[in-house]
Amino acid sequence: MNIIIMGCGRVGAQLAEMLDAEGHHVTVVDTDPYSFRRLPHSFSGSAELGNGMDQDFLRHAGIEQADVFVAATQGDNRNIMAAQIAKHIFKIPKVICRIYDPIREEVYRTLGLQTISPTTVGARMMKEAIERQG
Amino acid sequence: MAGEILVPTKGGKASDDAVTLACTLARSRKSKIRIIHVIEVERTLPLDAELEPELRRGEEVLSRAERIGRENNCPVETELLQAREVGPAIVDEASERGVDLIIMGIDYKRRFGEFELGKTVPYVLKHAPCQVWLCREAAG
Amino acid sequence: MYIIVIGGGKVGYYLTKTLLAEGHEVLVIEKDARKCETIAEELGSIVLRGDGCEVRTLAEAGCNRADMLIAVTGHDEDNLVACQVGKHKFQVPRTVARVNNPKNANIFEILGVETTISSTDLILAHIEHELPTHPLIHLLTLKGIGLEIVELKIPADSAVVGRRIRDIPLPSDSVLALIISKSKGAQVPGGDTVLAVGDEVIAVTKPENEPALRVAFTHT
Repeated sequence: MNIIIMGCGRVGAQLAEMLDAEGHHVTVVDTDPYSFRRLPHSFSGSAELGNGMDQDFLRHAGIEQADVFVAATQGDNRNIMAAQIAKHIFKIPKVICRIYDPIREEVYRTLGLQTISPTTVGARMMKEAIERQG
Repeated sequence: MAGEILVPTKGGKASDDAVTLACTLARSRKSKIRIIHVIEVERTLPLDAELEPELRRGEEVLSRAERIGRENNCPVETELLQAREVGPAIVDEASERGVDLIIMGIDYKRRFGEFELGKTVPYVLKHAPCQVWLCREAAG
Repeated sequence: MYIIVIGGGKVGYYLTKTLLAEGHEVLVIEKDARKCETIAEELGSIVLRGDGCEVRTLAEAGCNRADMLIAVTGHDEDNLVACQVGKHKFQVPRTVARVNNPKNANIFEILGVETTISSTDLILAHIEHELPTHPLIHLLTLKGIGLEIVELKIPADSAVVGRRIRDIPLPSDSVLALIISKSKGAQVPGGDTVLAVGDEVIAVTKPENEPALRVAFTHT
């Protein structure tokens, strides 16, 4: 699959590494060139420097051929905007959007975005861990 | 010296003392006294919303102040105001009417072990065009 | 009407002032404490400090009874989210966003947000965007013949440093018009002219070749 990941932070880079190792064609985009240091030497995909909310840049990064778009920057609103561009302008079949704020996440889930809130997921996992110890 | 003294009141001992002080002063200065109570209206409601319990309480606070005025042989004017924030409402009223003095009663309040002045008093101290006297109740 | 304005910068401030003068009830939501204070001092109790993209802030602002929400921050993504949250969580009848980057107008439109684009914003955004990090500055568009004049500054790590101009592959329809160097001043470049760090190159090119031209002079 052709996968574009916006945001080369810890999550974005690790996801890129995993998908790359499984043989997918991964393109990581970020506005900070220093962020690409997180990609391992073995990474065979591409890294593009630019703003993932910019439609021209997304075209340049190959979004028109992408099967999956993942928005994983630190900014909820940036992720939301980029994910909606990918979904509504470029009609990417699968778009995944990280939203830290659980309330905002709920709003966009009801609007049809596939969303993940690390806040909710993390809190739930910690609670489960506590209960297991119990 | 004529002129007007503005006493914003929220009810309670400190407010009563402020009204009494204003009466004493008004008699010697031949000033008028204007007593206001400001109801803070949340933004979820229009500014002119009719807030029954708050209105009733405001009326009680003002009639109590009127009674203190009568006991001190000092006629007072009262008004109930609605605003988004108390501080700016007091300052606006003082500016519009050109009052000479604002007298406010303040409680001795502690929050998390620290003395706290709230946000209305500092706002009035910072922005009021006229003199401001504070009348703090005894500690404890 | 009750109108909520998100963003208390210059645009938000003047917009609010105008709307108040027209007799509307207005509330500005602004993150920055100092901006809030300035607005409150000048316009009264019509400011709420907070993040206008957050549901809690919008609830406190009385978004439920707002007739209109106008988002005018300098960030398109924040304006978009504020409008969408207002529309879908609070059923605000009309939402309007300032679009800083005109390329974004289509996504706002698809998502049902009205937009306004200011040309001044556009130029400012462009300058801010180009100056600090990008070595290519757009100087002039020659209308009618489809050419533009740009300025390139040779970065320290560029591969063209110390090379002759004839050895640098230029994109088609691109001509170097002038080289301004610290040591020699302005000179008309010839094939043998050697480029140094910090030299400013004034070039004529087609808009579509601009990125290639930038790469030609800045790649490492």
